[in-house]
Amino acid sequence: MRIVIDILLAVGFVFALAGTKGILQMPDTFCRMQASTCITTLGTAGVILGGALYAFFVMGSVSTGIKALFIGLLIITINPIGSHAIAKGAYKNGVRPDKEMEIDDYGRDFNE
Amino acid sequence: MPKTKVPAVISTFCLCFLFWVLLTWSFTPQEMIAGAVVSLAAALFTSGFFIHENAFRLANPVRFGALIAYVFIFLGELVKANLDVARRCFGGCREVNPGIVKVPVELEGDYAQAMLANSITLTPGTITLDIAEQDGKTWYYIHWIDVAETDREKAGKIIKGRLEKGIRRIWQ
Repeated sequence: MRIVIDILLAVGFVFALAGTKGILQMPDTFCRMQASTCITTLGTAGVILGGALYAFFVMGSVSTGIKALFIGLLIITINPIGSHAIAKGAYKNGVRPDKEMEIDDYGRDFNE
Repeated sequence: MPKTKVPAVISTFCLCFLFWVLLTWSFTPQEMIAGAVVSLAAALFTSGFFIHENAFRLANPVRFGALIAYVFIFLGELVKANLDVARRCFGGCREVNPGIVKVPVELEGDYAQAMLANSITLTPGTITLDIAEQDGKTWYYIHWIDVAETDREKAGKIIKGRLEKGIRRIWQ
């Protein structure tokens, strides 16, 4: 069981590392937000599942494990609302990528 | 303030009480009674905001089964998209081709549309910016990290994948 827990933690760590690298190196605001979604989905899912299994089987405390799972559930439900609001707010405030976007339907429909 | 209806209060109460039991995880009568009172108060105040349609829609076993099935469909899509974005990040962040596409959506009802929009946002690589209604159809504006297809219908098929079908089975 310890091996499974360690693998889950390692998976979460790898995705969090990928997301962090993306946040630092992506070329524009929206792409950086895309990379940050990587951290909040599989990054936290791995760590939280690992933590919950640790609580269930190593610590033997059911309530701690359930609380960890609840943290995961709340992050999963709340995160998209936040990213949507940040992305839309950034776009409406005139944040644009340096390079021309491949296609920009939103700007064409609303920014005449 | 929206009107408070009895079925909506009952279903909100069940959800609140379930959360209470799972969070406290103690089954002594005192805890249960306190939880019931707090849940009832919360349900009375918030059910009007929380539930707009039929309150017991998900109590149907077919729909609930569809919801469970949807969780697995969504996890599959999530892992695929995560691997793709992580590969781009480790590859030096140069392989991006961002753009905002407009995608038609054939779902009806607030819950279904919100669920699809949130699922798309939660998938790395796509963020829903806005929902608009035009010509009697619903459109999402989606920021996509790698625009593979500029045609609206085909782009919609790629982005939504199997998510839309799963959601339609829950809320139809």
